[in-house]
Amino acid sequence: MDALTTILNGVPATLGLTLAALALGAALGVPLVVLRRSGNRLVAGFARLFIELLRGIPPIVWLFIIYFGVGTTVKLSSWTAATVGLGLISAAYMAEIYRGGLNAMHAGQWDAAHALGLSRTAIITRVIGPQLVRVSIPASASFAIGLLKDSSVAYTIGIPEITSAAREVSQNSVDAMVPFLLAAGVYVAITIPCAWAARRLDTVLRSRVAR
Amino acid sequence: MSTPRPVAIRVTDLKKSYGALTVLDDVSLEVREGEVTAIIGPSGAGKSTLLRSINLLEEPDSGEIEVLGSVVRAADRIGPKSLNELRRKVGMVFQSFNLFPHLTVLRNVTLAQELVLGRDKKQADDRARELLKRVGLEDKADQYPSRCSGGQQQRIAIARALALDPRAMLFDEPTSALDPELANEVLLVMRKLADEGMTMVVVTHEMRFAREVSETVVVMADGRIIEQGKPSQVFTEPTHERTRKFLSVVLDR
Amino acid sequence: MFWDDWTTYAPDLLQGLGVSAQLIGIALAIGLPLGLVLAMFANSRTAIVRSSIVVLVEIGRGVPALVMLQILYFGLPSSGITLDALIAGGLALGLTTAAYSSEIIRGGLQAVPFGEIEAAQAMAMSRAHILRYIVVPQGLRICLPPLLGFCIAMFQATSLAYTISVPELLGSAYSIGSSTFRYLSILVLAGLFYAAITVPASLLVNSMESRLGKHQR
Repeated sequence: MDALTTILNGVPATLGLTLAALALGAALGVPLVVLRRSGNRLVAGFARLFIELLRGIPPIVWLFIIYFGVGTTVKLSSWTAATVGLGLISAAYMAEIYRGGLNAMHAGQWDAAHALGLSRTAIITRVIGPQLVRVSIPASASFAIGLLKDSSVAYTIGIPEITSAAREVSQNSVDAMVPFLLAAGVYVAITIPCAWAARRLDTVLRSRVAR
Repeated sequence: MSTPRPVAIRVTDLKKSYGALTVLDDVSLEVREGEVTAIIGPSGAGKSTLLRSINLLEEPDSGEIEVLGSVVRAADRIGPKSLNELRRKVGMVFQSFNLFPHLTVLRNVTLAQELVLGRDKKQADDRARELLKRVGLEDKADQYPSRCSGGQQQRIAIARALALDPRAMLFDEPTSALDPELANEVLLVMRKLADEGMTMVVVTHEMRFAREVSETVVVMADGRIIEQGKPSQVFTEPTHERTRKFLSVVLDR
Repeated sequence: MFWDDWTTYAPDLLQGLGVSAQLIGIALAIGLPLGLVLAMFANSRTAIVRSSIVVLVEIGRGVPALVMLQILYFGLPSSGITLDALIAGGLALGLTTAAYSSEIIRGGLQAVPFGEIEAAQAMAMSRAHILRYIVVPQGLRICLPPLLGFCIAMFQATSLAYTISVPELLGSAYSIGSSTFRYLSILVLAGLFYAAITVPASLLVNSMESRLGKHQR
């Protein structure tokens, strides 16, 4: 049970890193999607390249590039590297989620809002924005759960989260298997209720929106 | 009048409910060999449920189903062998055609022949082409269903069902998804089939077909059969108020 | 400066990439067939079979691939089974693949219109025949784009095998970096190698998706 306590001590770091990266990603995703949808082909092209590279290169590689690569010249803490790395990757995925939501939104929304004489800011904050948030929630929830699992790679650059705790316990005990099984159990215990809650949220949101 | 023909299909005291909603309320029906029985009535009357109970695509809560010698009691557990034995005797045509889009028209008609009846490729192909010719679509054999119009797809579906040499055919609103022109092609094929003496049970909204082709018209409402008899009688002098109301709406269109 | 490093060490990285390819090959060879079996039995009429599959799949999806790798490589020796790193890596990723792909394939199988299954039933076709001739051929076609998308993500996951000492692409890059201290240039090159495979592959899958969408008329 001592093993379990040690492993559970890693949970705050896992949750903290996931939430920090998610917040960073949700925020940065907005300007990113704006650039991506820009009429200027060069700007849109660069944004697209940025997004594709962030999503196409494995998270652990990005963390290494930032922590060991950039980290040789600029002094970076594990937390900074991990948050920035996972945050940027999240921004790329969130930008694509937002893009999907915007594309799926009826063009009629813009037209109706313009016809009603609403200013651009008002349209974005009062009409498009709220709808985009609601439409993005299911995909974002699903992404967040995946991010929680992916955060495990941060142990490789020194973040004391669940997997690093398990490795530590495993190396110092006779039975190397149990700590990892406990860690697996902890991940499952966190993600399964979250996945269930996300599905419920999706159903509730769907029923509240007229089709 | 000659001696009445033997009973081909008999359902007795069928009951089916979904929770509080009763879909079939003690329904009994007899269909004689070689006759066409049309089932008409307002939506939600239980017509399709009744039809689909005959070949057990719907499993009633209680009652008995007898199809050309195969007897099934709804309350008993029905094994796959007896189920398939029953289904082999009767073919079905659906409102949405339900052709297999990933197979050619010919393969649609030969697949079950090979798998269910054990015919070899040549036998199955020959029979398929013969039936496609009968419905006027032999030139579509090597095409895919998506290239065919709705009326053509339904005629292919009829050929597909006939390929298994059923002794009775069930039609579940076969023309409801078709516009009038295409519906006519299908109704013509159905008339021909009836003239050739096939036992048919047809759930339909096509009142002209019901009046001109069927020997018996069954009117259903609220899960019950409220009227049954020869078309001449049901359409001109219905005994039930509900039937009168339904017919006045439907026949005036 | 980057360029010199790149030209010098590219061959070593390519060797690592070869090992990554082996990893994904093993993972898919184990995981996809297993996923198909799980998907087909997920709708079994026997409740025990259904529940067991749900549990297995939820666990397989809930446990991070990284932890799966640790369990098989560091954990198993306690039970007397010591696996070669490459095998452990391929097996761990294979099990994860099985869990995720079974859900994707199941989605595809369920997308086959129920009316077609009823028509086949009405023609007295057996359950096995219906699965084999009607459901699986169409279901696999439907789930192919998301399945391929998943395979691309799995290829990225092979980088995790670095943590169990498999000499794949990331591992090669890191070891070169640690001996030369030219971390940034080598790691960036490794990243570009990953991107050079995943990005075009994703674009291909996207265009396949839109082409398949037109077919379903």
